[in-house]
Amino acid sequence: MTESAFINITELTREFKNKTALDQITLSIQEGELFGLVGPDGAGKTTLLRILAGLLQITAGQVVAAGYDLNKEPEEIKPHIGYMAQEFSLYEKLSVVENLMFFADLYNVDVKEQEDRIQKLLSFAGLTEFKNRRAAHLSGGMQKKLALATTLLHEPPLLLLDEPTTGVDPISRREFWNILTDLHLNGTTIIVSTPYMDEADRCSRVGLMYQGELVICDSPVNIRNLLDGDLVKITTSDWQEAHTVLAPLAGVKEIQTYGEALHILVDSGKTRLPQLTRALKEHNLAVDEARTASPRMEEAFISLIRKMDQVN
Amino acid sequence: MSFRHLWAVTRKEIQHIFRDRATFILVLITPTVVLLLMTYTLAVNIEHVPLAVLDYDQSPTSRAFIQRITAGEDLDLYSQVDSIAEIEDMLIQGQVKAAVIISPGFSRDLLSLQGIDLQVIIDGTEPESGGFAVEHIGWRAEAFANEILADQFQIQGIPLESLQPIDLRVQAWFNPGLKPIIDLVPGLISIVLGFPALTVALTLAREHEHSTMEQLLVSPIKRTDLLLGKIVPYILVGLLNVMLIPIFAILWFRVPFQGNFLVFIALSAIFLFAELSMGMVIGVFMKSQSAALAMSFLVVMFPGFFLTGIFFPITAMPEIARLESLFLPGTHYAIITRGVFLTGIGLETLWPNAVMLLIIGTAFILISALFFKKRLA
Repeated sequence: MTESAFINITELTREFKNKTALDQITLSIQEGELFGLVGPDGAGKTTLLRILAGLLQITAGQVVAAGYDLNKEPEEIKPHIGYMAQEFSLYEKLSVVENLMFFADLYNVDVKEQEDRIQKLLSFAGLTEFKNRRAAHLSGGMQKKLALATTLLHEPPLLLLDEPTTGVDPISRREFWNILTDLHLNGTTIIVSTPYMDEADRCSRVGLMYQGELVICDSPVNIRNLLDGDLVKITTSDWQEAHTVLAPLAGVKEIQTYGEALHILVDSGKTRLPQLTRALKEHNLAVDEARTASPRMEEAFISLIRKMDQVN
Repeated sequence: MSFRHLWAVTRKEIQHIFRDRATFILVLITPTVVLLLMTYTLAVNIEHVPLAVLDYDQSPTSRAFIQRITAGEDLDLYSQVDSIAEIEDMLIQGQVKAAVIISPGFSRDLLSLQGIDLQVIIDGTEPESGGFAVEHIGWRAEAFANEILADQFQIQGIPLESLQPIDLRVQAWFNPGLKPIIDLVPGLISIVLGFPALTVALTLAREHEHSTMEQLLVSPIKRTDLLLGKIVPYILVGLLNVMLIPIFAILWFRVPFQGNFLVFIALSAIFLFAELSMGMVIGVFMKSQSAALAMSFLVVMFPGFFLTGIFFPITAMPEIARLESLFLPGTHYAIITRGVFLTGIGLETLWPNAVMLLIIGTAFILISALFFKKRLA
């Protein structure tokens, strides 16, 4: 860990009344990174982001972000971050522009620049034609973009986004991520939590959280390569029976179910694929699809979490 | 302290008040409506109580006396009767609520300065009208007797000054008609202005419920700016009520307004500051609107009714309640409104109450700032 990192988290622990939400997390993030936080619900992603935003007290450990020690200066960091909460947290009774003006005042945006910056953000977020609409009457995707726009008003060097695209349609999701990529290219440090693996793939680094711990933290490519072996995708007429048939076969390391499809981790795709399909046919199971595929982060994560559960 | 932050929150809150129908009704319509309702239910003016009169004296003095007691709006002569039995019938049938029996020696006793016997029978099933009748008949009789006595004194050459009737009913001084409405309305104003306070208690909880609080807490705003920014708009809206309600009281209920209107507005602003700060303390501790509402009724509205001396005199309370009433803004404001409306006193008398309100308000705002954390959970 280098001292020059933009964010240094050292053995950070946060306890709630009867739960340890964060358990000795150590992590450093460089300036300009687009850092993705993934993990199941309750893993501690929101708690970590809230601590970085100065919203929660630290139980133990140290967090230094953008030069501020969050144990001592939780208020001082606030002007320098843009934080977007998971739930829509703007004023529904105010219009798009009124919401922006409110937060421009709170963040002391230069009065002369304010008008100009709001116009720019409106077009940036594609909200110019809706600027007088009440926030309550915006679509989910537009609300998220408005929320993002308000966090950008004071041009913060650090953006903390808590599942910004959850519950948003795929097109809005894509638009949102295009905006994030632009910001990333402009040098803003972004930490974003997401339940979507395709979004995690767009990050420069990804941290997987599980039960308050940081399981792994690496680039998407390295995480994918963690999977030792090849991936075979098989769709059959009866996935439950197929699962029982395939699990004991030689070379099968792990089977994950994705709806009707089975993703099977094997030592070698080339040799095992014919063996697997043959076994299924012997049990009179119709094979609709059977092919090797390159592993994604999703499989890697599930595999990691399973290993952790086995250890516990 | 950042005026930009303060104004941003104030502006946003005002926009909310005028755009959210429930809030609008609660802070701008409810106070007047409740004042109207409470005045009508609590202060039924008793008027035109029907009387029966049995005059055994049948003298010019007794006839003048009968005319005198029934001359006002309060008591009406229903019938002059000849026997007690007739009175009983009329009382049973509810035609009269009270009867006056004038003894045979009425005028003789009066003129010879021996004092008079007057018998009043009332319908005990309606103690309000009965008590009212007794009080008013006694009052008229006293005035009547005094006049007769004055005449007699003059005839006998005794100076009039020695005949100063002692009036122990102090409350009747500024409310000569003894109309409860006139006394009640100024007191009730302090209760109905509790509604803006209630709304202030809700406003922080609303931010929690809509998770807008998270966005506020993560911004660089100072907590005192946030809390004051939420109080100021309700003071302004409260002042709208303060202007509206006296107009209603004066034009509709014919309550006299003896004092200075500007002094009244200024003192009302101070009262609102104290009352709303009290609401803010509740808001800081209650994280949901329903809890905040229940708490405000417990802490703002009920003590407002029972401990501020509007209905029950503070002097009659046990010491602990008296002490508590001292810290309720309503207690001081009730003194202010009654004073300004009915007796026309100004700052020269009311300044201790104004100072007390300022102290209460500042204390409450400090308490809420102390316990309001710019953190979640």
